[in-house]
Amino acid sequence: MTWVPERLVWRVLPAAPAAVLLAVWAIYWWIERPPPSTIPSIAAVVWIYGEQLLNGLLVADIAASLARLLGGAALGIVTGIAAGFVAGLHRPTAEFFNPLVTFFNAISGIVWLPLVIGWLGVGTALATFLIWNTVFFIVFQNTVLGVQLVPEVLELSVRTLGASRWETLKSVTLPGALPYILTGIRSGLGFGWRALIAAELVGANTGLGHMIFSGAEYHRADIIVAGCLAIGVIALAMDRWLLVPVERRTVRRWGLVTEARGN
Amino acid sequence: MASDKISVSGFRHFFPTEDGPVQATGTIDLAIREGEFVTLVGPSGCGKTTLLKAIAGFIAPSEGTILCDGKPVKGPGRERGVVFQELAILPWRTVRRNIAHGLEIAGASKAVRESTVARLVDLMGLAGFEDRYPHELSGGMRQRVAVARTWAADPEIILMDEPFAAVDAMTRLTLQEELGRLCATTGKTVFFITHSVDEAVFLADRVLVMTKRPGTIKAVLEVPRHGSGGRDWDSFTADPEMRNISEQVMHLVHAERGAR
Amino acid sequence: MMAARAFRELRILIPFAAAIALWWGIKDGIGVSNTLLASPAQVWTAFVYLATHGVLAEYAATSLQMIGVAAAISFALGVPLGFAVGTNRYAARALEGTLRFLQGISGIAWLPLAILWCGFTHTTTLIVVIYTLIVPIVFNTMTGVRAIPENYVLALRSLGASRLRIVVDVYFPGALPSIVVGLRLGMGYGWRALIAAEMLVRQGGLGDLIFGARTFNQIDRIMVGMIAIGILYIVVDRLLVQPIESMTLARWGVLRR
Repeated sequence: MTWVPERLVWRVLPAAPAAVLLAVWAIYWWIERPPPSTIPSIAAVVWIYGEQLLNGLLVADIAASLARLLGGAALGIVTGIAAGFVAGLHRPTAEFFNPLVTFFNAISGIVWLPLVIGWLGVGTALATFLIWNTVFFIVFQNTVLGVQLVPEVLELSVRTLGASRWETLKSVTLPGALPYILTGIRSGLGFGWRALIAAELVGANTGLGHMIFSGAEYHRADIIVAGCLAIGVIALAMDRWLLVPVERRTVRRWGLVTEARGN
Repeated sequence: MASDKISVSGFRHFFPTEDGPVQATGTIDLAIREGEFVTLVGPSGCGKTTLLKAIAGFIAPSEGTILCDGKPVKGPGRERGVVFQELAILPWRTVRRNIAHGLEIAGASKAVRESTVARLVDLMGLAGFEDRYPHELSGGMRQRVAVARTWAADPEIILMDEPFAAVDAMTRLTLQEELGRLCATTGKTVFFITHSVDEAVFLADRVLVMTKRPGTIKAVLEVPRHGSGGRDWDSFTADPEMRNISEQVMHLVHAERGAR
Repeated sequence: MMAARAFRELRILIPFAAAIALWWGIKDGIGVSNTLLASPAQVWTAFVYLATHGVLAEYAATSLQMIGVAAAISFALGVPLGFAVGTNRYAARALEGTLRFLQGISGIAWLPLAILWCGFTHTTTLIVVIYTLIVPIVFNTMTGVRAIPENYVLALRSLGASRLRIVVDVYFPGALPSIVVGLRLGMGYGWRALIAAEMLVRQGGLGDLIFGARTFNQIDRIMVGMIAIGILYIVVDRLLVQPIESMTLARWGVLRR
């Protein structure tokens, strides 16, 4: 009867790497006692959370980062899908803009910082611009691909049912392209989140990126580690509670994507 | 009994799941003689594939023993080749390199590999496709490659798990005749799983019928051969004796469906 | 025929000509100040200056060398790690969540800590870029290995293949398309992380070039650097990564998920 402990092992396995890491970290810190400017103690990191929660700084930083991400990503998604539909439905437009998109995608995000800092100054506008710039190209490219790949026969068959051009666009093209659009959004948010943190390191006075950068200025490794963990948790939460459910309720229900096999 | 190539006794298998073990098969005993073509027919989910995987050595039986040439099976081996239901030929190797794969693993010389491939390509009607990749072939062609790969490695026993299930009906008839001919010329011992009654009778020296899950063997029918070489569908369907056996098997299988 | 082909090749320049015209129009039409935007002519002059004085080549070489070293190290470490994790279902179960979590913490977020450990050095930049590159490579190698049909492995085992043989003949080619996707994604993340890290570490590289130019309001130099960053990224992607991808996909007919 070996399956009961096996089942338990299976349950706790995902927590194992974190547990091992924490143990090694604790033991190392106990023996070496490194200066707080290099490796903080676990207690110090926990303390930071307590302290920053109490004085409201952590919440303010997280709120600032999320607001920027939300604003920039929303802009990027809306403009990306709109432009993507135009280009996707009209091949010459797509072909004309394709080289420009390739080039501007290659310099999207943080590369613009030194130039745009002169236009928008330091702060939310700058970060929002960089996120928009990052998300737009990824969503745009995926939307174009999705729209172009919707089988023409589906569109024609709905047209023969008497649907207008607009009706067809709404009921056939959009859902047909949706898997690609969602892939684009997911990937775009991944890049956008990175761009945001990078932008906040240099070009902001609030936000998680600024929090970790100030940690470096004051030689406080505990602040940096606390900030990094918060960044990871937020990214994970966004993926799990925002993107995965959206995907499950739409694309997966229609059977448009098959989940990766493997056991 | 000394010439038994495969002997399974007291075999029973359980799969562990989150809700405890699930019984995959009932108690199974069977013996396959050298050079014999044995088919196993049964409803889906009865544990046919589990039995085949155990003989192949991919899973260790929960109970019972499996002997190959009198020696217990401990994992997969070159003397037992397997042809799978789903295509298991590698998409990144050409037809030629897929067929030669077993020989390559065994460290055979280039000359041996080339002559074996040439012989099997000829036998399986793959001439002209040697340098194609699997995705450029039809389903039937790909399954021919899978069969050829197993034969090229020259195992003593060949285990086949519904190899023609995914092939269209017309191609399947051709493949069955080709397989019959191939076995008649090479004299291999074959254990063949299927859920098609006609296929089971057409190919077999002996048909085993399995009950529904957890499956046991409920009946064994001999299928006599007249003359050498494989059977062909024209004379098979015209032969009243064969039709009679097919009907018997059909009844046995249908009874399992009714018992569900 | 030749002329037609040459024309088709040249056609990709038309959109750029249009973009430059628009850029020039905005600059001169509205009269945007030189501290905000440089004109195409000014950027060209700055480019000629930086190129002829070897400055551009030096900064670009630093960036390319960094990304090359980081990609090589990430590939050499990430692919075997991905195999180890992908072929063992316990390891996969244990590490999948952790890898997802690490992927959420961008490499650049570790830059402040790396600066505390290694100072303002190339090592710091390398740590950040390798971290950025390696996570998608490990992750995609793992998913690629796990998506390989079990029958491929079973069939080879019944042909008598050893474990090493299975890795070489099944796992590596089977996971290659996914590995390359991981590498492309990693290069996308990694190149940006490199530029960002160079801006802060200030030890050479194109990120240093454009951020340094910011300090002196040299907009023309910033724009030369941006264009160089874009072109180099496209060249690396088109010349190195895409050929492997299309070769494996086209020849084997393995579809990318």
